[in-house]
Order: sequence, then C-alpha cells, then structure tokens
Amino acid sequence: MTRHPLILILAGALATTAIGFAASIARGPAFIAALDRQADAARDRAGGNGVEISFRTEEGWLTRHATLSGGDGLSADLRGRVAKAITTVPGIGGVHWVFDGRKNVRAVTVDSHAPLHCQHDVEAILKARTIRFPEASALIDRASENLLNEVAAALRPCVGSIIAITGHTDDNGDEGANRALSRARADAVRWALIGRGIPADGLRATGKGSKEPLAGLDPADPANRRIEFRVLERAQVKPTPVDTPGPG
Amino acid sequence: MPLWLEMQVLMLLTYAVGLGIGWLVWKRKG
Repeated sequence: MTRHPLILILAGALATTAIGFAASIARGPAFIAALDRQADAARDRAGGNGVEISFRTEEGWLTRHATLSGGDGLSADLRGRVAKAITTVPGIGGVHWVFDGRKNVRAVTVDSHAPLHCQHDVEAILKARTIRFPEASALIDRASENLLNEVAAALRPCVGSIIAITGHTDDNGDEGANRALSRARADAVRWALIGRGIPADGLRATGKGSKEPLAGLDPADPANRRIEFRVLERAQVKPTPVDTPGPG
Repeated sequence: MPLWLEMQVLMLLTYAVGLGIGWLVWKRKG
C-alpha cells in the first residue's frame, strides 16, 4: 500500500458522507411521511384541530423537528398539550411553534402547562424518598438508581426547559466544604440524568451548602441534606448586546 | 437541523468510531 493512510481515511470519510447524504435523500421522505402521520394522529388525540404540522426547515429541507402553526382559536394551554403530545412520537426531534412567521423557539413546547406538571411529578416522587449519598461523598448510592430513573422519566416531558438541580447540606462541618459537596452532589445528579437521556444543555447544577435549610428544621438536622429540582418555564433569554453610543 | 445533516453527523461519528476500533485492533495485532 503506497498511498498515504491519511488520504485513504479522508476518502473513506468522503464516501461515508456521500452514502449518508444519498441515504437521507432516498429514505428521508418515507421516514418523514411516517412521522407526519403519527404526529397528525397525536395532534388529533390532543384536540389540536386546525394545527398544521410541517417537517421542513426554513430552507425547505426535511427535518425531524416539527414546526407547528395555525390553530388560532386554541388556548396556550391546549397548544402546549398538542406540542407535548407530538414530542412523544418516537423519532421526532423537537417541536417549535410559529406565529406570524416568527419562530417562538421552544417556548410553547415547554408551555406553562408542561413544566409545572413535571415539577409536581418530580416533587411527588421525591416526597417520600430521597436521592442518597454516602456521608461526605458525591457518589450516588446504588439504591437510588431506580429513583433517578423515575426522576428522569418525570423530567422527560420538560426537555427544552431549564431544569435547576440544587444541592443542600446540613450545617455540620466547614461551610466551604459543604458548599463544594452540595455542588458536587448536584453535579453527580446532573450527570446521572444526562446518562438517562436528559439533554445536558437544559440542566443546571448548583450547590447552596447549608445556606437554605428546610423551613422549620434545625440547620444541623441531617434531613437538610437533599437535592431539589426546579423546572423553569422556558430557557432564559440571553440579553442581546446593544451598541451604546460613545461619548461625543 | 435538516435530516441529511443529522445523518451525516451520525455516519461520520460511526465512521470515526469504526476507525478507532480498527486502529486499536491493528495495534494489538502488532
């Protein structure tokens, strides 16, 4: 073999992309048509009459990410339910609403209805049980694996919103170490959820140490060691940088 | 994200993983 291996590898990569492109052109329309049928059925079941579902990008390419439009008479609540129903169709990557040609990115997918329900579901799961850690460790106890599966399942409909994971400790020991430990535990839970299919970009882990004990509990009470979840309604919008006029 | 781009990314990732495994096997055989 006299050719440079790098050339062969690049040629292989090129052939791979060509095959990938050809396959998506050949099989894509049938695949998307099947998704379309299932999405229509999901929309009808959710009561979203008049909602149009498109599986094309703005440039006209086929995509697994559905764009919803129409349904002007529907309430925001029902729109949220329709979007949620469509996202449950296997194979659909995400749902966006378009109002007057303007994309309301992910805002209605995570409509006020869905996140609050997720939060309630997670709180209900964690009411009787807690995610356990060995003392002074951020390794999740194996006994909590099933609990994490349930939490991940409850959070799945909220994918697209910001999920804040906050670690708390009791006030025994050094506060700096407590804060670091609570952060490490929140991080461990975050990674466990990522491992269960919750997208990393929506998960935020913070540690509060012993600063926020449970209401009515002594700060030293071990019951203050806990992980809390808060589902924010939608992704926080980063402020757009604005040019400010200089002096003179 | 267009379907074809998702497909490309997946195919290239699979290709890269395959190359990596092939390289490891090649190295082991010496």
